[in-house]
Amino acid sequence: MIDFARVQKELQECTKDIEASGIRVTPKSDSLSHLLGTIPGPISTPYEGGIFQIDITLPDGYPFEPPKMQFATKVWHPNISSQSGAICLDILKDQWSPALTLKTALLSVQALLSAPQPDDPQDAVVAQQYLRDYQTFAGTARYWTETFAKTSSLGVEEKVQKLMEMGFPEAQVRSSLEAVGWDENLALEKLCSG
Amino acid sequence: MQNQENLDADGKAESVISIQTSEYDSWGNLGDDDIMLQKSAIFVQEAEKVPFVGDKEPLSSLEAEYKSGSPILLEKIKVLSGQYAAIRRTRGDGNCFFRSFMFSYLEHILESQDKTEVDRIKTNVENCRKTLRSLGYTEFTFEDFFALFLEQLESALQGNESSISHEELVIRSRDQSISDYVVMFFRFVTSGEIQKRSEFFEPFIMGLTNGTVDQFCKTAVEPMGEESDHVHIIALSDALGVPIRVLYLDRSSCDSGGLSVNHHDFVPATTEVASGSAASEIKIPFITLLYRPGHYDILYPK
Repeated sequence: MIDFARVQKELQECTKDIEASGIRVTPKSDSLSHLLGTIPGPISTPYEGGIFQIDITLPDGYPFEPPKMQFATKVWHPNISSQSGAICLDILKDQWSPALTLKTALLSVQALLSAPQPDDPQDAVVAQQYLRDYQTFAGTARYWTETFAKTSSLGVEEKVQKLMEMGFPEAQVRSSLEAVGWDENLALEKLCSG
Repeated sequence: MQNQENLDADGKAESVISIQTSEYDSWGNLGDDDIMLQKSAIFVQEAEKVPFVGDKEPLSSLEAEYKSGSPILLEKIKVLSGQYAAIRRTRGDGNCFFRSFMFSYLEHILESQDKTEVDRIKTNVENCRKTLRSLGYTEFTFEDFFALFLEQLESALQGNESSISHEELVIRSRDQSISDYVVMFFRFVTSGEIQKRSEFFEPFIMGLTNGTVDQFCKTAVEPMGEESDHVHIIALSDALGVPIRVLYLDRSSCDSGGLSVNHHDFVPATTEVASGSAASEIKIPFITLLYRPGHYDILYPK
C-alpha cells in the first residue's frame, strides 16, 4: 500500500521551494499514485532552456520501492531512451532508499542531464554518438531540446484547457497529450486524425 | 502465518507478470527490469524458505545442516552447543543483521521488562533524530520510521493498552509493514552515526570501498537489502548504546590445541557525557548473533 500521507508531504515540500529548485511535482489525476514531475534543463548543457516533463508512477510499495520515472518529453541523452523515455539511473533501481524523495530523485535525474554516463547507456545509439562525435551529439540534443522541451511554455492544465476549448473531450485531450509527450501541436494533430 | 507468507509470494509473482507484459517497451529497459525481476525472484524463493524471522530451533538443527559438510564447522558447532541452546534464523534478504537485531532487542525488552534500558535507548533515539536533522535530512523521510520503532518499544513493555505478547512480537516481526519499517529505522540510525563521525569511520570504509563516507551511506547503508558489515554493526551499536556479541562460524582454525569459535563483542563507545560514570562498568551483550559468511542469525545462550 502506498504511503499517501508521505506523498502529500512530499508534494508540499516541493511546492515550498519551487523557486529555488525549479522542480515541480503535481498529481496527474485524483489518485496520488500517478504524478507529473518537471525539471528545468541544467545551464551550460544542451538541455539549457528546456523544461522536461517526467511521468511518475508510484508502486504499491512506495517508499520502500522506487518511484517509476520516465521522460514524457523527448530527450537526446545516453542514459535516457530516445524512444520510450526510460531512464537508466541506479537510485531508481536497486540503489533506491526510503531516505530519498521524489524531489531528490528528480534532482538526480537533473544531475544526470548534466553528467551523462555513456559507459552505462540506456540508449546505445545516443551513447555511441556521444563517445564518437560529441559535436553532433550536442547539436542533436540541443535541437531536441528546442523542438520538444520548449513548446511546453504553457502549463499542462493550460494546454488541456486550450484543447478542450477546441471542442475535444477532456479524457481524450489528456490521453493524447500524454501520448505525445505533452506537445500541444502534436496532440492536436493526433486528436484531429483520430 | 503460513498464509501470510504465501500471500507475500503471490504478490511478488504478480509483479513478475506485469514486467513481462511490458517486454515490447524497449530492450534496453528490459535489461534492468530483468535484473530486478531476477532479484525479486530470488527473494520470493528465500521467502518461501524462511520468514523474516523464523521460529526458535534447537542448535542441533544447525548441526543437521552441516551433516556432510566441513569437519571444522561440525567441530565448531559442537563447541557452540556447549554454550548456546537455540538458534532463530532470519531471512537472507540483505537485511538479516538489522532484522536479527530488531527481534533480539525487542525480545530482550519483552522478557526483561527493563524500563531503565527503554528510557536509556529512547534518549539515544532522540539524539539520532537530532543527528539526522543536523545532517539535513528532511523530517518526513525518517519520522514515520522513528515513530514505528518507538511504538514497538512501548508495546514490548507490559501494562499498557498497547502491550504485546511474545507471540505477537513474532507475528509483527514477520509482518512486512512493521518489520521493514523497523529495519529502515536502524538503517537511518546507522547512516546518521557514520556521517556524524565520518572521520572515525572513514578508514574502515576506505577498506571496504573506494568511495566516500557519504557515498557509502547512500549506497551501502540506506537502501534496503544492502548487507551489513562490521562498519554497520559498530555504528548501530554506538548510536543506540547497545552492545552486540557476534560469533563467527567459519572454516578458520588455529594450530594451538582445540578449535574455538571466535567471537567479537561490539561494545558501544561511551559518549562524552557518560564517560565518567559508564566507562568503568563493562556491559555484557544481551544480543548474540551467529555470523556465517554473508548471513546473521540469532543465538540463545544456555
